[in-house]
Amino acid sequence: MLKFIVRRVVWTVPVILLVILMTFVMMRQIKGNPFQVTERAVPPSIQRNLDRKYHLDKPWYIQYAYYVKGVATFDLGPSLVQRNQTVNDVIKEHFPVSLKLGLFAMIWAVLLGIPLGVFSALKQNSIFDYAAMGFVNSGYALPNFLISTLLIYFFAVKWRGVTGFPTNGFEGWHAWILPALALGHAPMTVFARIVRGSMLETLQQDYIRTAKAKGLRWRRVVGVHVLRNSMIPAVTAAAPLLGFLIAGSFIVEFIFGIPGIGRYFVNSITGRDYSVTMGITVMLSVIIIVANLVVDVLYGYLDPRTRDARA
Amino acid sequence: MRNRSIVRAGLAGILAVIVVGSSTAATGKFGQSQKAGVLRMSIGAEPPSLDAGLATDTTSSSILFNLMDPLIRLGPGPALKPLPGAAASWKVKGATVTLNLRKNVRWWNGKPTTAQDYVYSWLRTLSSALGADYAYQFFGVKGAEAYNSCAGGKDAKGNACDEAALRNAVGIKALNKWTLRITLTSPQPWFIQQLSHTSFLPVYKPAVDQYGNKFTEAGNFMGNGPFKLASWKHDASLALTKNTKWRNAGSVKLKRIEMQIITDGTTAENAFDAGNIDLNTTGVPPSDIPKYKKLAGGSRNGALGPAGKAIQIDPALGTYYYGFNVKNISDVNQRRAMAFAIDRKAIAKYITQTGQVPAKGFTPGGIAGGPTIDKNSFMPASHQTSKAQDFMSKVANPKKDIKLYINNSPAHIKIATAIQAFWKGIGITASIKIQEWKQYLQFLGPPPNSDVDVYRLGWIYDFPDAYNGLVLWTCDSGNNNTNWCNKKYDSLINQATKTPDFDKRVLLYQKAESILTGANGDLPIMPIYWYTFVVYVHKNVHGFLTAPTSQYDFTKVSVS
Repeated sequence: MLKFIVRRVVWTVPVILLVILMTFVMMRQIKGNPFQVTERAVPPSIQRNLDRKYHLDKPWYIQYAYYVKGVATFDLGPSLVQRNQTVNDVIKEHFPVSLKLGLFAMIWAVLLGIPLGVFSALKQNSIFDYAAMGFVNSGYALPNFLISTLLIYFFAVKWRGVTGFPTNGFEGWHAWILPALALGHAPMTVFARIVRGSMLETLQQDYIRTAKAKGLRWRRVVGVHVLRNSMIPAVTAAAPLLGFLIAGSFIVEFIFGIPGIGRYFVNSITGRDYSVTMGITVMLSVIIIVANLVVDVLYGYLDPRTRDARA
Repeated sequence: MRNRSIVRAGLAGILAVIVVGSSTAATGKFGQSQKAGVLRMSIGAEPPSLDAGLATDTTSSSILFNLMDPLIRLGPGPALKPLPGAAASWKVKGATVTLNLRKNVRWWNGKPTTAQDYVYSWLRTLSSALGADYAYQFFGVKGAEAYNSCAGGKDAKGNACDEAALRNAVGIKALNKWTLRITLTSPQPWFIQQLSHTSFLPVYKPAVDQYGNKFTEAGNFMGNGPFKLASWKHDASLALTKNTKWRNAGSVKLKRIEMQIITDGTTAENAFDAGNIDLNTTGVPPSDIPKYKKLAGGSRNGALGPAGKAIQIDPALGTYYYGFNVKNISDVNQRRAMAFAIDRKAIAKYITQTGQVPAKGFTPGGIAGGPTIDKNSFMPASHQTSKAQDFMSKVANPKKDIKLYINNSPAHIKIATAIQAFWKGIGITASIKIQEWKQYLQFLGPPPNSDVDVYRLGWIYDFPDAYNGLVLWTCDSGNNNTNWCNKKYDSLINQATKTPDFDKRVLLYQKAESILTGANGDLPIMPIYWYTFVVYVHKNVHGFLTAPTSQYDFTKVSVS
C-alpha cells in the first residue's frame, strides 16, 4: 500500500508540470491585456513598465520557468489585477470559504442522498420509491441558479420574518444554509441514484441469498453485506464530486455573494489575471489528484480484491 | 470494527471543521436591521486597490475619497468649480501652480500631512517600478513622462537614461512644509480640477515602508480623511467608521458605513428588498427597473415611493457612442445617414430606462459649457428616416453590408439590435459581432481590425473639462479607434491646452465639436446617449448623491 501511495505521489509532479504548461499556453492564446481594464488605452510607456514588472516582456519559456520555480517554492506570484494581493493571499483567504461551503454541501448530500437511495432500493417499486426517485430526478434536472434563486426568493425575502435567513453573504451559520442546500442539491441526487442502483444490484447477488438462507437477520444482511458492497460506486463518485464542490461553485457563490475561490477563478479568466488563473488551476489539480488518491486507498478497505491487485 | 472507527474519526473531523469555521465566521457581523447613523450599502465590486497610486476604478476612488482629504473638492454640477480641500488656496501663473496646504490636515495618527507627503506620493506613482496604470494623470507635469518612461536605465526607445536625474527634474517640488509647486508642460487650465482625481491623493510613507504592498489592508492603512478603514474582508465587505479628529468632523453625521460587496444585480435587489441594505449601488436587472420606477412615482432625484424605496438618478459625465472605421465607411454622407436613422430617444426610454439623455454631440450637456460646445452638433433625438435617406442617396458607393462590433453585455446587445433595425430602414444590413471584453479591446486597436465597420464604446470623464473627452479624437490618441485624423481638429485641441480663459476655451471646444458632430462635420463617431448614475436608496437615507465624476461624498449623508 505504501509503495502504491509513494508511486502515485511521485506521478503528480509531471502531471502538475503538464497542467501548468497547458494552462500557460491556453492563457496566452486568448487575446487581451490584463492591464487594460476599461476602454481607457494604456500608454505604451506605461504598458512597458507593467510588462517589465510582471516579467511579461520575457520570452514565454523564461516566463514558464519563472512560474515553475515559483510553484516549487509555494510562491504563486502577484495578482495582475488585484494589485495589492498575491495569489497566495487570494487562495489563503478565499479557498477556506469554498472548502467550508463544499463540505456543508457534501454533508447534506450524503445525509439525505444515501438514505434516500437505500430505502428506495429496499422498497423498490413502492410509493416511497416512486416519490423519492421522482423528487431526485426532477431535482437533478433543475439547475443550480434556479434552485438558488428560488431558495432566496422564498426563504430570505418572502418568509424572512419566520426564517431569518440573509439574502447573501457568509456572516454567521444562518447564512450558510441556503447556499449549502443549493450547492449540495445536485450531488445529493447523484448519490441517491447511484446508491439505489448499486443496492438493487447487490440484492440480486448469490451471497445475499446465502446470507438469507443461513438465517441471518435481514437487518444484519443489509447492514453488513448489502450496504458495504453497495458503497463502492458511491465512493467512486464522491471523490470527483467533493473535488468539484470544494473547488468552489462560481454560480452559487455569485448568486449568494459568497467570497469563495470559484468566483475568483472565473473573474481571473475574464480579467486575464494570468497568475491567479494559473495558481488556482494548480491548486485544483492538486486537490483532484489527492481526492482520487484517497478514493483509491478507501477502495482497498472497502474491497480487498483491489488491494491485492495493486500490491 | 475497524470500519466503524474510521467512520467515527471522519465524522469527528468534519464536525471540528464546522465548529472552527463557524466560530471564525461569527466575528464582525454586519447589522441586519436599520440603525440611525449607520449606512448599510452594497458596492458592485471588490476595490482592486486602495493605493492612490494604483487605483484606477470608480469603486476604489469612491472609498478613497472618504478615507482621504483630497487637495481639491469639486462644487455642485454642472460647473463643478474647484473648492478648497486639503489645499486652502492656490495660485496659477502660466504653467506654474502653487498650492497652499492647510495646516490642520492630519493623518489618523495625528501627524500633519505636508507638502513632502505629496512629493513622495506623486513621484512614487511616476516611478517605473510601481507600474502605475494611471501614472499618465501626471503626464501634464514637466518631466513626468520622461521619468516614468525610464525603466532599468533605458527609455521607451531603448536609449540610455538616468532615473535619479530624471526624478529630480520632475516639476513637483515642496517649497516648504505647506507649499507645493507644480510646473506643467503647458498652462492646462483644468489642472486644478484634475487635482480632485484619486491619483493625486497622498499615501503615508511610513505605512508603505513598513507594510510594502500590504499597506492598503485595514489596520495598516493610514489616511487623513473623514472616515477610517475599520475592516476589509476581501470580496465580501468593508466597514468605515467616523474619524472624530478630522478637521471638519462636526459636520459628519454618519458613525459607520457598512459596505457589502455584491456583484450580482439580483442579489443586490434581494438584499435591498429584504431591508438588509439601505442603499444599492450595484444595480438591479433591467427587467426590474420599471418596478422601482413605479415605487418612486417615476420621478427623478430621490423622489420617494409609497414603499419608501426609490430609484435615484444623477447625471454623469460620460457618453455612450458608436464609432466608425472611416477607412471602411469612407463617405461622410453614409455616416450621416446612419446617425440620423437612429432613434436615440427610444433607446433611452425603452432599453436603458434610467433617464439617459439622447446625445446631441459627443461632449455631455452636463459638463461646464456643454450646451455651448454642442451648439452646432446635430445628432437628432428621434430618428429622421427621410433625412437619412436623403443623405444615403448622395452616397456614390454605399457600403450596404456592414459589421457592427460590440462587447458581450445584455444591454449592448439590445441597443445594437435596435440600431440594426433602424438601419434596415435606410437599406443597410448590419450583422452584429459580439466579443468578450478584453478580446474586444485588443481587436479595436488602434488601429482597429479591418473587419470592424462600426464599434461601440463609452467614455466616462476623469476630470470635468470637455478636453478630457475631445482629446480622444486627436490623431495620436490611444483611444481613437476610428482611423480618423484631422490636423485642424488637433490644432484646436492643442490650442485649448494653452487657453486659460474659460469662455474662449469653450469656443475652441465648440469648433472642435463641430468638426466631430456638426452639420458639416466629419462624423467619425456618432454619440448615442449621455450616461446617468443610478442607485436605489431607502427613504431613511438623506443627502446621498453620485457626483458627475462618479464619487460618493459620505460626509454629507445621514441616516435617520
